Amino acid sequence: MKRRTFTLLSLLLAFALSFSSCTKKQVTNEKVLNLAVSSKVKGLDPIYSNDLYSSSEVARVYEGLLEYHYLKRPYTLKPNLAAAMPEVSKDGLTYTFKILKGVMFQDDKAFPNGKGRELTAEDFVYSIKRLADPKLQGLGWWLLDGKIAGLDAWRKSNAAKDKVDYSEKVEGLQALDRYTLQFKLAKAFPQFLYSLAMPFTYATAKEVVDHYGAEFLNHPVGTGPFVLPEFNQSLKIVYTKNPTFRKKLYPSDASEEFKAIGMLEDAGKPLPLVDKIIVNIIVESQPRWLNFNKGKIDYMTIPKDNFDAAIPSGKNLSGDLKEKGISLLISPSLDVTYTAFNHDLDLFKGNTKLRQAMSLAYNVDKSNELFYNNQALPAQSAVPPGIAGHIVGYQNPYRGHGKAEELALAKKLLLEAGYPGGKGLPEITYDCPSSTVSRQIGEYFKKQMAQIGIKIKVMTNPWPELQKKITKRQVMLYGIAWGADYPDAENFLQLLFGPNKAPGANGSGYNNPEMNRLFTVAALLQDTPERTALYEKMTRIAAEEVPWVFGVHRQSFVLSHGWLKNYVATDFEAGQATYLNVNTKKKTELSEKL
Amino acid sequence: MSNATTSNSPVALNTEPNKTVHKSKSLWSHAFSTLSRDPWALTSLIIVGIYALTALLSALGFVAADWAAEVGPSYAAPSLDHWFGLDIFGRSVLAKTIKGTEVAMSVGLVAGLISMVIGVTLGALAGYFGGKVDEVIVWFYTTFSSIPYIILIVAISFIRGEKGLMTVFLALGLTGWVTLCRLIRAEVIRHKNREYVHAAAAIGGGDFRKLFIHILPNVMHIVIINFSLQFQVAIKSEVILSYLGLGVQGRPSWGTMIDDAKLELAREVWWQLGAATLAMMIVVLALNLLGDALRDALDPKLKGK
Amino acid sequence: MNIQVYVIRRLLYTIPIILGACGIIFILFNLVSPDPTLIMLGKHASAKQMAELREALGLNRSYWLQYLDIVKSAFTFDFGRSWATKQEITSMIKQGAIPSLTLTFPGFFLSTVISICVSLFVSFYRGTFLDRGVVFICVTMMSVSSLAYILFGQWFFAYKLGWFEISGYESGFPDFVPYVLLPVLIWLMLTIGPDVRFYRTIMLDEIYQDYVRTARSKGLNEKVIMFKHVLKNAMIPIITYTVIQIPFLILGALLLENFFGIPGLGGITLNAVNSSDFPVIRAMTILSALALIVFNLISDVLYTVVDPRVRLK
Repeated sequence: MKRRTFTLLSLLLAFALSFSSCTKKQVTNEKVLNLAVSSKVKGLDPIYSNDLYSSSEVARVYEGLLEYHYLKRPYTLKPNLAAAMPEVSKDGLTYTFKILKGVMFQDDKAFPNGKGRELTAEDFVYSIKRLADPKLQGLGWWLLDGKIAGLDAWRKSNAAKDKVDYSEKVEGLQALDRYTLQFKLAKAFPQFLYSLAMPFTYATAKEVVDHYGAEFLNHPVGTGPFVLPEFNQSLKIVYTKNPTFRKKLYPSDASEEFKAIGMLEDAGKPLPLVDKIIVNIIVESQPRWLNFNKGKIDYMTIPKDNFDAAIPSGKNLSGDLKEKGISLLISPSLDVTYTAFNHDLDLFKGNTKLRQAMSLAYNVDKSNELFYNNQALPAQSAVPPGIAGHIVGYQNPYRGHGKAEELALAKKLLLEAGYPGGKGLPEITYDCPSSTVSRQIGEYFKKQMAQIGIKIKVMTNPWPELQKKITKRQVMLYGIAWGADYPDAENFLQLLFGPNKAPGANGSGYNNPEMNRLFTVAALLQDTPERTALYEKMTRIAAEEVPWVFGVHRQSFVLSHGWLKNYVATDFEAGQATYLNVNTKKKTELSEKL
Repeated sequence: MSNATTSNSPVALNTEPNKTVHKSKSLWSHAFSTLSRDPWALTSLIIVGIYALTALLSALGFVAADWAAEVGPSYAAPSLDHWFGLDIFGRSVLAKTIKGTEVAMSVGLVAGLISMVIGVTLGALAGYFGGKVDEVIVWFYTTFSSIPYIILIVAISFIRGEKGLMTVFLALGLTGWVTLCRLIRAEVIRHKNREYVHAAAAIGGGDFRKLFIHILPNVMHIVIINFSLQFQVAIKSEVILSYLGLGVQGRPSWGTMIDDAKLELAREVWWQLGAATLAMMIVVLALNLLGDALRDALDPKLKGK
Repeated sequence: MNIQVYVIRRLLYTIPIILGACGIIFILFNLVSPDPTLIMLGKHASAKQMAELREALGLNRSYWLQYLDIVKSAFTFDFGRSWATKQEITSMIKQGAIPSLTLTFPGFFLSTVISICVSLFVSFYRGTFLDRGVVFICVTMMSVSSLAYILFGQWFFAYKLGWFEISGYESGFPDFVPYVLLPVLIWLMLTIGPDVRFYRTIMLDEIYQDYVRTARSKGLNEKVIMFKHVLKNAMIPIITYTVIQIPFLILGALLLENFFGIPGLGGITLNAVNSSDFPVIRAMTILSALALIVFNLISDVLYTVVDPRVRLK
């Protein structure tokens, strides 16, 4: 009996070892990009790509009119499927695009003979109507809601019909000829062009949508650099180079900082630079880390709040990692973390002094050290650096750094607010998402408030639960972050715009008439010094009124292996894989050290 | 995944009717003497006792009261000063582990009690009254147990808007009663037609008197065995709750400590995982062995072997 | 009672169970779970679009109509599409069930075989130090948290020692084998303990039966008794016990799947719960209830087939 068990076990072990010893070797002459993402991908339909993960996948196959220049900062739009930047009418309401000629959709059996046809202006009209389709309820509709003349009316009138009529003309969205596309806006929307660089508005072909019907999301067919014949919901997605991809070249100009680190080595080469992309969906952080360390993933983005737990030896990589050719790239990202007050509560609403006291008691530098390894930038207000509206060098007078005089001032303000030493205050709840780091940040906040006698109770919630609580106003304080949808301060300041109150983006419910007035004016202005001045004014108000306890502007941390070329961090990842390259020779060399 | 196996208790399948009737007094005294002669059972009992005492002392603030204090650099490795090293905030892992006993023992106790009360009540009612009552209760627990565990546990935690110890108690207590309910129902059915119950009826005992005074004491051994097992299942399940983000808040628990380790191992910080796992393993092991010993001592069927 | 009638009656009994399970889920999620439209629209949710989406998802219809939908889907197996991913649920289940089974079934099978062998062995040496020792080891193995096994196993055996794949999955045999080896081993660590304890109890039950005593008094070899009599008779409870476990295998093992990157049903269920994706939650509940009832039925029928003493009622 014993022997039998033993035989069985040893058989099993032998089986195991024989398999692990003959793991498949990659063919070295094929350039393969191995990526890891941390969340399941829903499907590849542009109009539903409202999360980072789906939108990155969509952008491998589909393309839009515009894109962000890969190597320029501050972020600059450049034409992608458009032949040039659009002509804008004087009133800023009409945008006319010329579309590239000769761009082909990928071959697919939805087309006659299985050959992709040429992209036309009509495809954009169709794709954008599809985003507005009331039956489909595209998740990016917020982007164009109320912006394009006649599109809202079209959406509304078709909602009641049995079948949505795409042939009905929409005034503000027309193809003037095969290669000319014209948008007419309902009101000034200076951020309009950004929306054409977002995956929601990427070009899809009507034949394909009709052919696959509801299964369209699993059969992506675009004009982009990579092909995915079918998405089968597994945790590994394999894309191959699109053989009919148009001639698109690696950029030859770049911002100085990128030139300096050799990002132009591949300048002028036809894109894409790799033959295959393998996207591994790895939900848990431990296997993601271990796979990266083994070189099975080319680069890994470290969760922004996770730096300290992630990088073994702090700011600089240890010699060990360097020897293996691993490098750490730290770059600013367009976001802000904050602890929001619920301004519906009388406790916080008119009580600026209480809010200021809490902000002063919170040592942002120490939090930076604990959670971001001193790499983040303490936020003075809502707008991150790198976009107009951020005031370089501005110091928020109510920003705490752990100094004794700040604590003294905090205590004084608390006294003036009517709560000497925190007496009279209820226990204040602090809600945050349930990740380990969010919880730790919450505990840190609690510790900081205890210094001035304010009692905090940290409560973690699964993400949807937190959202629900915020919408239903069942929170007192909550810790959260906002990442930019597009590089414009408007995207941040709208978080403090009264009419955007929850369930809108303004979850704190902050409502300041002066702020609202300034925002309404600025929202209609093109990018001018006048608008920047308004943005800066709002930035200052936000800083002094302390509608939130500001956290930090985080940095993105990316670890990459020595064989990965052309990687630059970006807040708008769509299309990035097109530019990445793999040095196969170096990979063989370095892999041996791992 | 442990759910798959723990929910099927061995006792459920004993189909042979129990032939011997024991007076409860002799059963208990016999059980006590059996237990006290069993060194394994005694050791287990002592271990569980030590844990309970630790939990009590920490709840009263006598030990590990300063668990939140920063005593050294972040992630310091185990040393003579700090036997189990330090965590991200430089807090002593040993102190956190000790403080975690409080959560573990209270979770085991309260969740165990909740499932015990529900299981015994429903099981006894179904078994004793039979008929429609029985059908409804059997339908209810069959239905209940056919809902996937994860769905049920998250739904229960949603009911309690706020997360915390109470949610953990409820989530684990409300999901753990089905096995006991089944067992009690079967046992009560077996007992209700016994002579002693008929005798009690003859001298004028009402239904509830018969059920609670006469029958229940005779099925108590099943309750106790099941409680000791449910206790350890609850302690283990707390880890899963922490993983799902539904765990205990604002104070250390073994579940959150183990969950934290998923960010730590890649940088070779193994002590937090090690300490919490070890602490949990010892008490769960002791509870399991105690449960076995209790079964041997109390289950008349196995007696004398 | 005729066995066909019995089976049909039991199958009809699934109806109230499924209705009840869906009812409980429906009430729980309608009353307390976060608004699914809020989750779907994410950070750009506006009151207007949420209202439109509610209408489109049919959330504005009466509760009664919504509940009827569930009942209908339980019989037609047409679960519709997920709200969160827009994928067809039937295909999600098909895609997920196989990976789940490639992990749980080998685990279950090996665990059963190994546990039966070990328990035969220890009941042969019952009461000795060997018996106590093995039982102690088994109980120790099951006393360690599953998450601890996973974290440590993945870090130490897969990463440090390189014996296994760290994570990932390939569909099709034998491609998936290297990826499920470590998860299966962890599964074994977790399940062998309880299995051995259970089988040992069953075998000891048999060993003390009269027929064994008779056989022994006839002078039969102890080994012959163990295999010929004890194992044969113990097979009845063993089979029923194993059959009852099968439904849990289909639903997958959440933690193992998430950490080892196996695209199974456990992960799908968790995602659904976290995004209030009611159609998927409903489908998983129906699936689970059906599987549970069917396999319980099989187990009962098997019982009567192998043991004529048991009567169906």
